[in-house]
Amino acid sequence: MFRGIALAVAAALCLVVVPVAAQEKSAVRQDFELASNSGKKILVFHPSVRVGSQSTGGIFEPNAEWTDRARTNIQAALEKYQKQLGNAVITAPEAYGEDARNLEEHMQLFGAVSQAVIEYQFFVGNRLPTKKRDNKANIFDWSLGASVADLPGAKDADYALFIYNKDAFGSTGRKVLQILAAVGPGIAVKSGEHQGFAGLVDLRTGNLLWLNADGQMGGDPREVDGSEKRVRQLLEDFPGSNLDKDADK
Amino acid sequence: MTVADSAVSVTPSRDWNRLGVSAGKNTETWTLDGDQLNDVTFYGGIAAGKPLIKERSKKKEPLPKFTKDTLIVEVPELLESTYRAYKQIGTFSVASTEPAEFLGHEGVRFTYTYTDSDNLPRKGEASAAIIKGSLYMMTFDAPRLYYFDQAVGDFRALVKSAILT
Amino acid sequence: MRRAGAMVAGALAAVLAGPAMAEVAPPPPPYVGAYQPQGVDEIGLWREFDESERRLAASELVIRDEKLNAYVRHVLCDTVGTDRCKAVRVYIMREPTFNANMSSNGTMRVFSGLLLRMRSEAELGAILGHEFGHYEQRHGLKLFKARRTGTDLLAWSALLASMAPSYNVRRSYADVQLSVYGNLFRYSRDNEREADRLGVGYLNTSKLRPQAASAVWQNLMAEIEASSRSKGLSKPRFNAIAFTASHPPEGERALTMAALADPDGASRDDGADRYREAMAHWLPIFLDDQIKLNDFGASDYLIQSLAASGWTAPLWFARGELYRLRGQQRDLVNAAEFYESAIRLDTALADAHRGLGLSLIKTGRPTDGQAALRKYLELKPEASDAAMIRMMLTKEGVTN
Repeated sequence: MFRGIALAVAAALCLVVVPVAAQEKSAVRQDFELASNSGKKILVFHPSVRVGSQSTGGIFEPNAEWTDRARTNIQAALEKYQKQLGNAVITAPEAYGEDARNLEEHMQLFGAVSQAVIEYQFFVGNRLPTKKRDNKANIFDWSLGASVADLPGAKDADYALFIYNKDAFGSTGRKVLQILAAVGPGIAVKSGEHQGFAGLVDLRTGNLLWLNADGQMGGDPREVDGSEKRVRQLLEDFPGSNLDKDADK
Repeated sequence: MTVADSAVSVTPSRDWNRLGVSAGKNTETWTLDGDQLNDVTFYGGIAAGKPLIKERSKKKEPLPKFTKDTLIVEVPELLESTYRAYKQIGTFSVASTEPAEFLGHEGVRFTYTYTDSDNLPRKGEASAAIIKGSLYMMTFDAPRLYYFDQAVGDFRALVKSAILT
Repeated sequence: MRRAGAMVAGALAAVLAGPAMAEVAPPPPPYVGAYQPQGVDEIGLWREFDESERRLAASELVIRDEKLNAYVRHVLCDTVGTDRCKAVRVYIMREPTFNANMSSNGTMRVFSGLLLRMRSEAELGAILGHEFGHYEQRHGLKLFKARRTGTDLLAWSALLASMAPSYNVRRSYADVQLSVYGNLFRYSRDNEREADRLGVGYLNTSKLRPQAASAVWQNLMAEIEASSRSKGLSKPRFNAIAFTASHPPEGERALTMAALADPDGASRDDGADRYREAMAHWLPIFLDDQIKLNDFGASDYLIQSLAASGWTAPLWFARGELYRLRGQQRDLVNAAEFYESAIRLDTALADAHRGLGLSLIKTGRPTDGQAALRKYLELKPEASDAAMIRMMLTKEGVTN
């Protein structure tokens, strides 16, 4: 597999890899419906939330206090909205040893799948012919495989919410800044463009039920209001969502 | 349909996507869901003295070459050191190597595993034959989680369908 | 190879005789104990490092051999002392390049390529001590603060790359290095010098031989020169190795290191025997990793320099593999000789019989070649390529 690297090299030469405006930002699996108040349990794996500020020089300065606050706020907001949707949020137990390595591998796979979705199904200029056809037929068919059922905490939940920060070092310095500034579930502070993906995965089949790959998000997760706004945006296309899409625009 | 600008022709049993960018002069890459998830690469007749893929820098970062003396049993090592040198990785191992016909000639089939910079362990399988002094090979690379098993059957069907026209 | 080493040593002696010389590194300052990050910047940075350590700990690339880990840690503790050593979590990574780094939360990454290149506990201690010196002086934070005032984003990315888990960034870092090194150089050389001074300072007060620090750089320079020479490059590419790219010029550095070392320590043990013993299991594996990087000059230099303390079967075997892999006609003749030397020292080394057999077949001696392959199968009937080799034996003549 060499082309991936060739692409990364090419990306380093031209700052913008994927124009955010040119892509769709989320999709739901064709056969998936989640009725409101269906009482599903959603497992969340250690959301990697990082918050910082941007100095005049354009440098991201990570801030631990903000990060802690944001993590608490986002967790609370997730619970609140999922409760409104009639779902419960469960935080995955801390994993060690073999479990931790297995989880890490699944996280990496989720990242690779999300990138493939964005690169080859969402991004207009680069769609694979078979994915173009899928788009026409409203097919969104991706999976992490049934081994997700063995992840820590999976037995006690229906779905898992995977959260991934795109690898910051895939291309240029500018990109690095953008991504370092990204927090959690595709949620970001104001520091340029942010790419992060959040996806809902069926814990029995591994099927990707819903993917949000929004490049532009608002709301300040350091504040309770901001976190709620962020999570509302994140979940506005969430299956079964009755959240008001226009509330924060 | 012919692949990699060569005399190799395959009859796919399902739809594949051909990527516009290739790793080298005599190669071509197909995928189902994106090359990071399933990657079939055709090496359509690598001539003696040539590397498998294009070198970043012939002088500073040379890749190992297929030579007129390369034995078919050495092809797995050639692919291994090409991956290792190109990706600068330390984790690659050939899991099995066995005789298998390819393109109607005596050849080799081998399997391997590696982890490169995205930290996602992958499995691979390849079929190769040396025909009239040139190396013909098809490789399949995919994450060892789910994706390898999911499409390796399609890859094998593709290998089986491959002929030299 | 040997001549190049002698030339470096000669130059070294000449300059050492001159007046401009660094003074012997003082003993390290009293250790203040476990440090906790202070202020918004530092606390935030530590959080980043904690996150990346989380992923590192679960990475496929970490070598989890308990004995090897305990040993490397032991060398670190012998160098910097037990108190300091408590602050460090060591991760050995299967990465074939010369590198080690330490982030300010106490995560130390040691690449397998570094372990391959060290000749003794004192040499390993010199590098680990150097990294610990960065940590003790909190250079990461200083670099971060200095960079914040700059606007060079690429330089910033290089900084991040230097702090981040190396397995993620090595390749892409290499892609941007040309445009950023200018900046990185200017800033970090002072820090590097400080870390060198501290690193040798630890060694001076340890029971290991501090002169080893200088030897590391001489060896590395000679390796890079050998690599460049075999590629036909007119100038050695010192910046091709991440660890040396941002560090002071190698020549100057070897001299400084020599001067920093306490002359009284010159007669101390450098732990070369213990080091060889501890690495015995991993050496063939790390050598194989190195050989397959296809850097002929560097690999041959490494093998020969490891053999300075005596040729062993694994070293002859590695050299055979190196030459067979390059595969020019004269290489194959040499390879066969090297495999034979390996077999003379260890007749049970199955892979050497394989290499010998293949090399002989390729140089027009199929009968001898097949005999060697038969021996290989006898010693290793379950070899992963046994069926392939067996097929080569049943054929009348062996052709491509």
